[in-house]
Amino acid sequence: MQKLLLLTVSFVIIGIGAYGGGLVTVPLMQHELVEIRNFLSMEEMSRIVAIAQITPGPISVNAATFVGYRVCGLGGALLTSAVVVLPAILILSGLSHIQERMAANPHLLRVRRGLRAGILSLLLFATWSYGRGVVTAFPELVIAIAAFLILTLFEKKVHPLAVIAGAGLVGILIF
Amino acid sequence: MNSSKHDDPSASGRGKRVSYVSLFFTFFRLGLMTFGGGFAMAAVLRHEIVLKRRWLTERDFIDTLSIATSIPGAIAVNLAFLEGRRLRGLPGGFTAAAGTMCPSVLTILLIVRFVAPYFDHPVIAAFLKGCAVAVAGQIAFAALSFARRLRRNWQNITVCGTGLIILGMGLHPFWAVATTTLLGYLIMRKRMMPYDSTEAEEIK
Repeated sequence: MQKLLLLTVSFVIIGIGAYGGGLVTVPLMQHELVEIRNFLSMEEMSRIVAIAQITPGPISVNAATFVGYRVCGLGGALLTSAVVVLPAILILSGLSHIQERMAANPHLLRVRRGLRAGILSLLLFATWSYGRGVVTAFPELVIAIAAFLILTLFEKKVHPLAVIAGAGLVGILIF
Repeated sequence: MNSSKHDDPSASGRGKRVSYVSLFFTFFRLGLMTFGGGFAMAAVLRHEIVLKRRWLTERDFIDTLSIATSIPGAIAVNLAFLEGRRLRGLPGGFTAAAGTMCPSVLTILLIVRFVAPYFDHPVIAAFLKGCAVAVAGQIAFAALSFARRLRRNWQNITVCGTGLIILGMGLHPFWAVATTTLLGYLIMRKRMMPYDSTEAEEIK
């Protein structure tokens, strides 16, 4: 029960912090779930991230469902999945009456600008901290760099899903 | 939820009235297609809802997209909630958000129930390891695309550097988000710099 409560708190924090969605969630999850709370090992987390990237849906929701189920079964999965989107839904519900003007609000524009540079720092940090967690040998480094190069050089021509799944198939051959 | 009284009644009546069932399943289908994050879905959503079904105008869509990306959380879910609310008020928002999340939650439940017991099977473990390693490259790519959209001015560099220092000290990433937001708000002035291009502009 206490575990479920801690899990709920963790996913509220992940839900609030994951601005810009997607991969920004990874460093937050790694810190919350692996480093502070020990809900997952680094290997388990990297598997969840891998699965999240090859299944539909946002990483944060995928991870919440997965970890919730692991810790507390079906009920836990539904609870954490709801909790991870709750902060955003609450903010959006409260903002409705100023919705029309919000996009052009100068204060909001300044907040967004700051956040965008902040998010860049999070992604750079995640490249290092997540990368260090999963890349432990030379062949892994080659796959990671190859994925980066393919995504960069063939941007908009190759779907990221194909790159990730392709790397999985390469993994079957060499690991 | 007391916020329902804030809803502009005209907002839910724009265009034709969409049933909850059709709202749910439209967003269910969109949720199924959200491989590769919120922006991938935003493009599909625009195609389905603005161009094909004409539930919303282009203007509505761009407004909601910029709000969905200004708020923390998964962009796909935020966007679904906002579009759903425009169409059918608050219950519509929840219907659309639930529709978007369902495929993802169901897929993971099936995987955690039926595939997870075999995670340590050599072939599955090797496949997942390959994928997980490639995600490291994908994060680096996300950082690069983000950096390319930002202007190289002292404000952006200061904010990003501060974030890196906080993260490098091992503090919670949440503090990096909070501090950079505040710092950015304080040092970025509207007149001082032209816009950094946003994702919303790129989708158009």
